[in-house]
Formats: sequence, structure tokens, C-alpha cells
Amino acid sequence: MFENRTIGLALTVPAALFAAALFILPVGILLSEAFKGDNGFSLMAYVDFFSSPRNQTVFFRTLKLAGLVAVVSAVVGYAAAFCIVSLPAKSRGRMFGLVTLPLMISPVARTYAWLVILGRTGFVNSMLVNMGITDTPFRILFTETAVFIGLLQLFMPLMIISLVSAMENMPRDAIPAARILGANWFQVFTKVILPLTREGLVVGGTLVFTGSMTAYITPAILGGSKVLMLETLLYQRVTVANDFVAASVIAMILIVMAFSANVLLKQIATARRTRV
Amino acid sequence: MSDFVTLADLTLAYGPTVAVDRLNLSIAQGELIALLGPSGCGKTTTMRAIAGLLPPKSGTITIDGRDVTRLAPAKREVGLVFQSYALFPHLSVYDNVAFGLRLRREPDLDTKVRGGLATVGLADFAARLPADLSGGQQQRVALARSLVMQPKVLLLDEPLSNLDARLRLEMRMELQRVQQETGVTMIFVTHDQAEAMALADRIVLMKDGAIEQIGSPEQIYTAPETGFAADFVGFETILRQDEGGALAWRPGAVVLGSGPHNGTVRGASFAGERREYVLDTPLGVVKADTPVDVPAMKIGQTVAFDLPRDRAVRLARA
Repeated sequence: MFENRTIGLALTVPAALFAAALFILPVGILLSEAFKGDNGFSLMAYVDFFSSPRNQTVFFRTLKLAGLVAVVSAVVGYAAAFCIVSLPAKSRGRMFGLVTLPLMISPVARTYAWLVILGRTGFVNSMLVNMGITDTPFRILFTETAVFIGLLQLFMPLMIISLVSAMENMPRDAIPAARILGANWFQVFTKVILPLTREGLVVGGTLVFTGSMTAYITPAILGGSKVLMLETLLYQRVTVANDFVAASVIAMILIVMAFSANVLLKQIATARRTRV
Repeated sequence: MSDFVTLADLTLAYGPTVAVDRLNLSIAQGELIALLGPSGCGKTTTMRAIAGLLPPKSGTITIDGRDVTRLAPAKREVGLVFQSYALFPHLSVYDNVAFGLRLRREPDLDTKVRGGLATVGLADFAARLPADLSGGQQQRVALARSLVMQPKVLLLDEPLSNLDARLRLEMRMELQRVQQETGVTMIFVTHDQAEAMALADRIVLMKDGAIEQIGSPEQIYTAPETGFAADFVGFETILRQDEGGALAWRPGAVVLGSGPHNGTVRGASFAGERREYVLDTPLGVVKADTPVDVPAMKIGQTVAFDLPRDRAVRLARA
């Protein structure tokens, strides 16, 4: 685009300076906070953090819920994506729009809608009571289930979008070819669809996992202080306890986990059997 | 036996749109059949139905005496070479050819795969990925992948259309050789009449979801029965007759320069060995050509011509 590469590079300098001064530097300072000991470098803050059973619970709960949301959205996402790509072009666009619709609604509004649906006198409970399945309404809100449902709805579209575009890039007729060669639907999935959409699965999985892990509004509203996740714990540490060291530790954990998830998924995706 | 493959009253539809209407066809074992026709005539739809990729709306399909109408594609013992080849890009050439055999838990896998690759002349390409092969080589992998399954019927979708002229001839000979060696019944779909003529034992000419004419290449070429068939094999002047039916002439059969009729030259083009003309006449549009040594006629010029009866074919309908 530019005749001279140097001009092109020079034009990125303001943005780079902006990012360095206002993003990298403060984040660096914040993160380094937790490595300071009485005499120089120390990992005590991390040891302290993980020695608290409550923090351990929050850490593993975050891992569990984010992992579960990623796995369930992958399973549901494959089914949805397969249906969408099988549709004729016109209704495919319409279906795709429907899938992405939740992404265009404010997360706060959407999450408050879940309060209405899942609350003690909400839609689900009044249905269950009216049908005589239970006398006393179930406690759904402020449980891990509520957070799981909220996160799943929030992030599944990203998985579906990734898988749809991966499936659209599969060679035409690869699926019928496999079926004629004797594959049943399960084999079509494991031997053709899965290997050919691996990259989409990695992208979708990374987005959903890191998204679920770092989401704030959904666990804050649907989980509250009873079901803390790392992100809500971080906020609590800063605003309630004014404990910036713990906040820095949590921030670091989130960054490391996001990167590890991405690397791990890529590893799984590129591991291929070689056989001749 | 002359009914190795039979299609009986086969009706195929995509939703409410009927693509093929009550089609009847019998194919003998070892025959090489061409389904010929323009796009949208239902030839590819028919082929997909034989493969089991499209459940028929009504009618039956039998292969080797067995009703396969409701069977899954895998259970029909058919092979299909797709127009797009549909190789699995993540698998090597070897693994592509071995795909079906592995699912079948073939005990003699390696011998069969190597044999299949040798048959199509790709023995040295086993370890390559499909993306590293040319279009012609990819198609031969697709052919080998189907052949190693020893199908009763091999279906080919436009097998020559993606190849350049030289590869086309090569592939044509390859298909004929494979057919002679294996004796497999082949049904291929094409829109190219020259291709169908060159390759097929019998041509099934289709139009608008129905069979227009079935016959050997010679029969279709010399004795088309309908206006559509006649036009398809080069009888370009088709005139309805008062007593019913129609007569049709090839451009070379029309006599230009003398005769009882007159016409106006509306189009003239030079085609190497021949000059081609389109005439507006009271009888209708006449297409004629002359050898190049006959002096060229100009557009707008009035010219006498004759349509000799003895060089016409009689058509049941125009």
C-alpha cells in the first residue's frame, strides 16, 4: 500500500507509543506488584494466594466452568454449524443472523433477562411448580448452573461462527464421498469433519474458554458473591479489600491461563497421525 | 443380463421442485453409459440418486437384482468419482485410497492400495498430499479410491470437464482401459456430446428431467428422433412438416447457390475449413456451410438454396 516501508512503519509509531504508555506500562507495573518481596524478587504473593482454600475453590471453579462451557458449546456448535451449512444459501444467511443476534444485545440487558427467567418466581420455576414437579421453587440463581447457562449463551455464537466458516471451507462433496466409501455418520464426523475443521475448533475453543474465564458481568449478576469466579474475585479484591497484590496475582493467572489454553489447543490440533 | 441396473418410474425432487419425472432405464452389466444433456436436465440428480445421496420421491432402483432404493450409499456397492474429485485434503494419497478399505477392515489392505495406485499410474505418489498433485493426478486418485472398493457400478460426474485437451484424451483412454480390465459397469454424466460419443457404448440423452432418446452413439448421431436430439448432434436446420413431425439437415447437407428456395444471409463466419452461414428464409432459419474455396457471401445478400430430401433425417417431433 505504501511506496516506502519506512513511512508505513512510521505511521504505526503513534499507535505503538499510545499502547506502550497507556496499556503495556500500567499492566506491567500492576503485574510486577505481585513479584515484589522484602528483598527483591519473590513469589510469596502467589504462594499466599494459592494457600487459601477459598482462592483454590475459585480457581478450579473458573477452570471447570470455562472448560465445560467450551466443551458443551463445541458439541452443540458442531450440530448447529452442520445444520446451517446444509441449508440453502438464502436461509443460511437468515439462520446465521439469528445465531449472531445475541452478540448484538447488551450483555447487561441479556444477563438481567436470565434473572427474570431463572429467579425464584421466574419462568422456569413457575413452570415447574405449575406442572406439579416441585412444591418449592428450585434455587437456580446464584449457583454454578446459572453462571454456566449465562456463559454458554453468551459465548456459544462465537463457537458456531468459527465452526460454520471452517465447514464452509471443507472441500465440496467430501462428506458424500466418505459416505459412499462406507463411513457411517459417526465415522464421517471423526474421520472427515473433525480433522478438516480442527482450526475452527481451536479458534472457537480459545475464544469461548478465555471469554468465559474473563467474563465479568455474567458471573457477577448470575453468580454474585456466592459463586465467585476469578474475574469477580479480582474485582472484589480491588474494590472491597483494596488488595492490589492479590488482584495482580489473579490478573497474571488469567493471562497465563488464556495463553496456555491457546497453545494447548493448537498442540492438539496440529498433532496428526502420520501413516503410509 | 440386460437389467443389471434398473431405474423404474424414478421421480426425484428437491423439495417441491421435480428434477426427474418417472424415468425408466435398464443398463446391462459391463456397459459404459453416458447420461448426456444440458445443465438442469436431471442427469447429475439421477446419478446422485443411484449413489444413494438423494432419496427418490417415488420409483425403485435395483442393482444386480437387489432393490437398493432405500439403502444407505455405503451399502449399495457403487463408486462415485466426483467432478470436484472430493479427495480428503488432510490424508495422503495412500490414505485416501485406503479410506474405504480401512472402514471395511480389509485384510489385504496394503496390496490393494498399492495395486489401485499402480492401475492409475500413481505408484510413486503414495506419500504425497492431494494439494501437491495436478488436477489430472487428483482425478486418478479419486478413480483409484473408488476402484479399490470393487464397486458393482462406477459413477463418474463430468469426468473430463476439468481437464485440458491433452489430459482429456489420456483420461478417456484410461477410463476405457479400466473398463476393459475390470469389466465394471460405468455410468458417466456429461454435457459434452463429443465426449459421450467417444466414450459410451450407449447414450441416454436427457432433457427437462426426462429421457429424450436412448441409443448407441451411431444411432443418436445419424438418426436423432426429436428436434432436441437432432440439434444436439448437429442437425441445425429443423423444419416442421405439414403432415406432422419434422425434417432436419446438417449445415453441410444444405445446397447453397442453386435450388428452388431463396433466403437472405443474416450471419456469416469463417471457421477454418468451412464458412458458416445463417439464412433468413420463408421456411424458417436455415443454417448452412460451404467449403472455404467457395467464394464468401455477404450479409444481406440473397441466395438460392435447396434442402435435399434424401439428406434429411425425419423426426417424430420438432
